[in-house]
Formats: sequence, C-alpha cells, structure tokens
Amino acid sequence: MSTSPSATTIAAAVYSKYNNINTTLSVSGQINTTFLSYTKKQHTRSSSVQRLPPIAAAPNTRDGKDSKSNTQNNNNDDDDDNDDKQSVSLSLDDVNPVGLGRKSRQIFDEVWRKFSGLGQISRTIRTDDVEALDALLVREGPMCEFAIPGAQNTTVLVVGATSRIGRIVVRKLMLRGYSVKALVRKADEEVVELLPRSVEIVIGDVGDPNTVKAAVEGCNKIIYCATARSTITGDLFRVDQQGVYNLSKAFQDHNNQLAQLRAGKSSKSKLTIAKFKSESSLDGWEVRQGTYFEDVVTSKYDGGMDAKFEFTENGAAVFSGYVFNRGGYVELSKKLSLPLGSTLDRYEGLVLSVGGNGRPYVLILEAGPSGDPSQSKLYFARISTKVGFCRVRVPFSSFRPVKPDHPVLDPFLVHTLTIRFEPRRQRSDMVNASKNQDSRSFQLILEYIKALPTGQETDFVLVSCSGLGIEPSRREQVLKAKRAGEDSLRRSGLGYTIVRPGPLQEEPGGQRALIFDQGDRISRGISCADVADICVKALHDSTARNKSFDVCYEYVAEDGNELYELVAHLPDKANNYLTPALSVLEKNT
Amino acid sequence: MKMATLMRLPTATPGRVVTRTREAFHALSPSPSPSPPHFVEFCKGGRRGRRIIRVGVKCNSNSERAVNLGPGTPVRPTSILVVGATGTLGRQIVRRALDEGYDVRCLVRPRPAPADFLRDWGATVVNADLSKPETIPATLVGVHTVIDCATGRPEEPIKTVDWEGKVALIQCAKAMGIQKYVFYSIHNCDKHPEVPLMEIKYCTENFLRDSGLNHIVIRLCGFMQGLIGQYAVPILEEKSVWGTDAPTRIAYMDTQDIARLTFIALRNEKINGKLLTFAGPRAWTTQEVITLCERLAGQDANVTTVPVSVLRLTRQLTRFFEWTNDVADRLAFSEVLTSDTVFSVPMAETYNLLGVDTKDIITLEKYLQDYFTNILKKLKDLKAQSKQSDIFF
Repeated sequence: MSTSPSATTIAAAVYSKYNNINTTLSVSGQINTTFLSYTKKQHTRSSSVQRLPPIAAAPNTRDGKDSKSNTQNNNNDDDDDNDDKQSVSLSLDDVNPVGLGRKSRQIFDEVWRKFSGLGQISRTIRTDDVEALDALLVREGPMCEFAIPGAQNTTVLVVGATSRIGRIVVRKLMLRGYSVKALVRKADEEVVELLPRSVEIVIGDVGDPNTVKAAVEGCNKIIYCATARSTITGDLFRVDQQGVYNLSKAFQDHNNQLAQLRAGKSSKSKLTIAKFKSESSLDGWEVRQGTYFEDVVTSKYDGGMDAKFEFTENGAAVFSGYVFNRGGYVELSKKLSLPLGSTLDRYEGLVLSVGGNGRPYVLILEAGPSGDPSQSKLYFARISTKVGFCRVRVPFSSFRPVKPDHPVLDPFLVHTLTIRFEPRRQRSDMVNASKNQDSRSFQLILEYIKALPTGQETDFVLVSCSGLGIEPSRREQVLKAKRAGEDSLRRSGLGYTIVRPGPLQEEPGGQRALIFDQGDRISRGISCADVADICVKALHDSTARNKSFDVCYEYVAEDGNELYELVAHLPDKANNYLTPALSVLEKNT
Repeated sequence: MKMATLMRLPTATPGRVVTRTREAFHALSPSPSPSPPHFVEFCKGGRRGRRIIRVGVKCNSNSERAVNLGPGTPVRPTSILVVGATGTLGRQIVRRALDEGYDVRCLVRPRPAPADFLRDWGATVVNADLSKPETIPATLVGVHTVIDCATGRPEEPIKTVDWEGKVALIQCAKAMGIQKYVFYSIHNCDKHPEVPLMEIKYCTENFLRDSGLNHIVIRLCGFMQGLIGQYAVPILEEKSVWGTDAPTRIAYMDTQDIARLTFIALRNEKINGKLLTFAGPRAWTTQEVITLCERLAGQDANVTTVPVSVLRLTRQLTRFFEWTNDVADRLAFSEVLTSDTVFSVPMAETYNLLGVDTKDIITLEKYLQDYFTNILKKLKDLKAQSKQSDIFF
C-alpha cells in the first residue's frame, strides 16, 4: 500500500515532462485524486479479503466480554462489505493486524479496568481523567469550596508578602484562584521559595514611589500587610506612613491612566468641587451672616460680626472674620456646578483640604429640586479642623437633616454647599491649646473641596495595628505612623478596609471566635491566619468598604466593661462571618 | 508452621469463617508463595518492627542531643508534613492546611511531572519515596505534625508503600521526635483481614499505637470524589457504567469535609491517641448511587451489572498463579462486597467530640447535585459557544 503515493508522484513527474509547467499543478492534482479513489478501492478489496483472519487470530480474547466485542466488530465488518460507502472511511489501521490487536487490547484494558475497579476499595482515577476532574473539583471549579466568583479576573497586589500575615494571604489568594503580585524588597532564593511559584514577584520598596508604580500596574486590589521591621522613626515613617501614601497614590494614578486610555474618568478618582488656586476661583462664593435667634436687646451691645473671603498675596483663599454676637454665625456658600455627567450620588462624601487656626465648622448642604428652591431641605455636619493644614473627610452619611422629620440626605439632590462658622463654647483644654485666642474669631484657609467616589468593594486593605503588644516606650511613635498611614489612605478616594488586629500569634486560624470592634477596646491577640482570612474576605465584601475596625479573639469582659456589646463571630466554612460582623460597625471610620 | 504464626497474629481476631477460608485456600494453593505468606511476614514485620523501635529509641536519644545543640529554634506547631499529598484526600488536606495558616510540606515521589499545583498553592514540595527509607529522614526536619494519607498505586505491589514504607515512616517519625502523627485507615479494617489493604492498614494502626507516638487514627469509609469518575462521568458521556449487585452500603463522605474535621481533631488535645471513624451522613449501595446519578443527569445509564460472585470467582482464579497475585489483591475488596456489611457508623458522638454541626457535612445528594448542575451548565455554555462560532465563521 505504501507504494501508491510514490506512484502518484512519479506519474505527476512523468506528466510534467511532456506538459507545460503551468498546467502541471492542476493536472497532477487530478491525477492525485483519481489515484486516491483507485487506492481506496484497492483498500476495500484487499481489506475485505484480509478482514477475517486477524480477528479470528486476535490474541487477546482472554475474556468473554472481549470476544463479545469482537463479534460486534465482525458484524460491523459484514456491514462494510455490503456497503461500499462506509468502507471508504476505513483506514489502513483498520485492517492492520497490529492495529487491530492494539485496539482489542485497548478495549480489553478498559473492560478490565472497570471490572477490577469493582473489586477495589478506593478508586484511583486514571491519569488522563485526573486533569479534567481536577479542573472542576480542585482547582478553580465551582466544586471547590474555596472558589470565589470573580477571583479569576482579579489581580491582587500583596505588599509585604513575606510577612507573617502576608505569607498566608498569598496562599489564601492562590487557593481561591486570584492572580497575585507580590512586592518584596529582595528576591532572594529564600524569599522566592517562600512564595507560591505562580506568584508574580515585583522587587521594590514601598518607600520608593518609582518601584511602587511598577508594582501596581495591572492590579485591581491591594492588600498592604507590610510593617516596619524596627521602631526607628525613619523606618516607621517610610513603611507605615509614606508607604501607604505611595501605594494609594500610585494605585490612583494607575486607575486614572487606565481611564484615560478609555478616554474616560476613573470611577475611583475624586471629583473636584472647588479648587482655590486663583482669584477667579473665588467667584460664586458668597459670604453671609445671620443669627439663630433675634435678641434685640443684646444685639445692641454685642460687638457684631464680620467675615470676608479673599485671595491673599501668597496664593491662599482665606475665609476669616469674627462673630461676637450671641447666636450669630457667618457662612460661606456656593451653588454647586458639577461637571456635566457627574452627580453626587455616585460619591460617598466630601474631603476638604483646609488650614487655619483650628476652629470647628458646620458644613451645610442644601438639597432639593433645583428648579424650586423653596422645597430645599437643609442637612448639616459638624467638622473640626486642626491648627495648620489638614484634610477633613466628611461622608454624606454623617449629614443630619436640620428638621428631624426630613428624610435622609440624597446626595443626588444637593445643589448648595455652605461652610458656616458659629462660635461655640469650647472646652477649657481647647482654649488652652489655641493659646488663649478668642474662640470667636476664625481663619480658614481653603485649598480644595472634593467629593469621594463610592463603590461596591474595597480597593485597598490595610493591616494596621491596635497598639497592643508594642513596647510601651515606642508605642506612641508606632501608632502615630500607623494612624498617619491610615489617614492618607482614607483621603485617597480608594475604597478602604483598615484592619487593626491585636498582637499576632502564630497559630492556625479559624478555630476561635473573633471579636470585631471599633474604638480601642480590644485586649486579646489574634492568629495571623485569621487576619489573613479577614483581609481576603474583605476584598469582595461590600460591608467592608470604608471601614476601620479592631479585631481579636473572643474574651471575657473585665469587671465594669461588660456593658459593651461585643459580638463574637466564629470563622467557619459554612457561614460568612465577616458580613454580619461588619454590617453593625460604623462606616467611614 | 505458617498457620501457627498466623494464629498468633494480632490481626487474627476475626471470626472463624475467615480463618476457614484461609485454610481452604492454603489447601488449594499450589505454590508456596501466593499472597497469604505476605501477611505472615507482615505479622513478623510487626514484631520486627517493635524490635526496630528499640533502635528507634536509641535514635531518639541521638536526636535529643541534636535538639540540645540548637535550643533556639523550636519546631513551630504550624509546620506539618503531608504524605500522599497528590491523592484525592491528600490535596484537600493540603488546601485546608494552607488555608488555615499552616506551613505545609508535601512529601511527593520524584516524578517527571512534579505536582505543580501543590506549589502553586504555596506548599513546599520535597521529594522522597516511602519505598526508599533513606529518603525519609530529611523530609521530617522541623516538622511538628505528620499527616499520612498515602496509599500505594493500584499497579504496584501493595506491600512496598503501604507496609514497609509506612513502618519506615513511623519509625523515622518516632526517632525524630515528631509530635503528632495522623494516620488514615479504612473502616472495618479489623474485620476483614482477608483483604490485603485492610489488613495492612490494621497492622499499621497497631504498629503506630505500639510505637508510642502521639497519634490520631482516622478510619474512612468512602470518598464522594471517587464516585464522579466512577459513575457520574460515564453516565454523562453515555458510556457503560459498571456496578455490582452487592448489598454492601458505603457512607460516602466529601474529602473536603474529611480534611476539615481532621484539622479540628488535630487541634483537640483530648483526641490524642484516639481512633475516630468518619462516615458520611448516609450509606448507599452501588445501585442507589447509579440511580441517583441517573436522576440528576436526566438520562438513563447503560449499566452493566457484574454479579459479585463473578468478581469472587475471578479473584479465586487469579490467586492460583503467582503472576496474577497482584490482580487478586486488587480484587480483594470483592470479599467484603459479598458480605452484607454497612460501611457506616453513627457520627453523633464524633461530631459532639469535635464540636461540629451535622448540617455542615455535605450529603451525597447535594454533592452530586452540585456536580451535575455545574457540569450541565458548562456543557450548555460550550454548546452555545460552538453555535456562536458556527455563525461567526
């Protein structure tokens, strides 16, 4: 049989000798086909002759089952003889005694495998099945208890991947099918060994904005569990404070860059409501004054009030003045004009960058149908500022209606923003702090007012600390750096989750009840694995967005403290403990 | 003489029926080397093992000296070694351990295609072979707990890994001061010494107990994962499904649940040295499982029922010849199938001991239903995709 192809080529060659080269191709093609059909006929003829002997001589008829399958084959062959069409599909292998032997051997093996399988206790799956089953049962398939929908398309950057928590975080992410990037300082062999093989390792330092930029590329979420190795102030500043700032900034930049590629705006970027950088940016802001109550008698003797909003020579927009009237106030107000297409309901709150002499103010939002100002409702939130510059974050949820029976604030309807100063009786320590200044005069330097975007999930999980277990002499410094890092994250506009665990213990996780709390009341430790689990769970939990919380093992309340209602949540496979635990905690903390 | 040794076996507890079959078998056996002498050797091995343990104790003192040399690095309680990590159960153990924050080392045989998935999850893979005892000690350095879920492959002689390898591993663990040893055995293994694997498991249980290691023995009934390849896939592929008419019932359990319960037991100091049996919520016959699969797949299976008697006959036949002995060993479970046993235990006490809720343990109905809904959905997606591409091109 093997001679037939060579016969065609020879024929073609002969043909080409006598013919034009141009026509050779087509003609030889024809010849090829005719030859093929001829050889096929040859096949059928020879096969019909040869077919029976190899089957009769099939060496592997050890089992009754097998011979049965062979007789089936025989029947098929008879059909082939009758039907010429079907025989065309037969190949050389079908008539080859070796091929037939192999085939019957395969059938026998299959039968034997199944047969012997019945007599075994545990079935070992064949190697070729293993891959397909693994995909479903073990790796990323829905049958795997760790699988999380959406994990496949999520890349998580783990900062501090070799830390006690980070190591476990990386493993947990890998188990759940995330793509993981790890930012490490040095790619030693030791470090590489420590991390799962398919983790993408980025070498860099959180203190260096350039390397951080490379690390956040292509990432959807960040888990920051790096911590300073020493309590030296420089280290603390670099890792716990500047590191968080660098990463959140780089991440925002990356988001913006991506958005610009799409010729849009990043949904994570803040919306500038007002930026006071020139004389003209003060347009539209008007200064007003008023009193809460009319007191004709006293107002005669009061010193009155005054306020102005001006752009100073050194480039700052300053709102300053004094209020000596009882019940008087001054305010700075503007009708908001948002860029086309953006509405405040897609934002979560306001962030103000202000400076001054640290007075408290009241932010007032007027909300209502823009066409009909008489229907506007007023909402207020008190803010306090520090002496010097600071950024204040005011979530919309902290605004309360002036009239208690009004509905809660709908940011979509907000049309006017007011900053009001009213002199309030201050606590004596605050008076001292402001160096005996008259609390009735104020100065507020405005830099910008921005709106913080809202979203479903958290973008940045930061592992901070609760301050327990640190050597007392350095606690202040450590906490200061950590808190500064937290603050820079809160103001970045990213959805954040800040976890403040108690002293870490190297224990397996998931075995003890946890307490989630806010407000520095916890007193116990927690295992690294539990912290890691919280971090990973928080990634897709909408209740975790924009929350800071302390977490530790369950404990029995000390005397006098048992009034606090601390709910313990046992982490387990069956229940998602995080959602109920966090849903009772306050947002934007 | 052989019989005499046999009677002195610790495993010789089973009823007379079994012994009689063995006698009958000996009478039939034409050659002196078929499988039962192996077991005589096992029992000898048991005793020999004890002797070797004394050597092991000597080793132990050595290792103590070694410990004294470096008192600064105590073994972390979170470091575990999983033996047999690539298996159906082993991989779930590894995943669970990693997820709970353990540092997992996997003892894996050197092979051309290494177990990449273990490394992808973040476990450390060390190469060693239980059938080569000299490779074992290095893997145990710095390990607190050994979890042993290894079983020999069906194609290799059962003795090498399951007995000799395990003896070597246990002795090594003892010598190196491993603080806890978890061993997976088979339910009812003490009642069926005629099944080689079960007898070996039972002998290993005893050996482990005698070794003085801090240990937990967990007896298992059957894995749900095994049913997928055995029944679910063939039914979906419309291939023939092979089943027996055996009345034996097995309480299948999800390996993920087994792994979870194992770690709860591992951390519970009260369970040290105990024998636990894990069984699924309900015991099923083969026929029932096939019917369930048919119902969930929405199609009838092409079932080939092999009578248990045929299986037994084949086993008896294959035992005659030395070269078919491995085959006979593989079919040994048919002996158990003929008896009307139920491979199940009431789990209430175990759940209580472990503090687990019964409703957290997945049932076979739920498990298979999950499987079929997922796979049918996937198939539908695939079909939709191919249709789409048809239009496209």
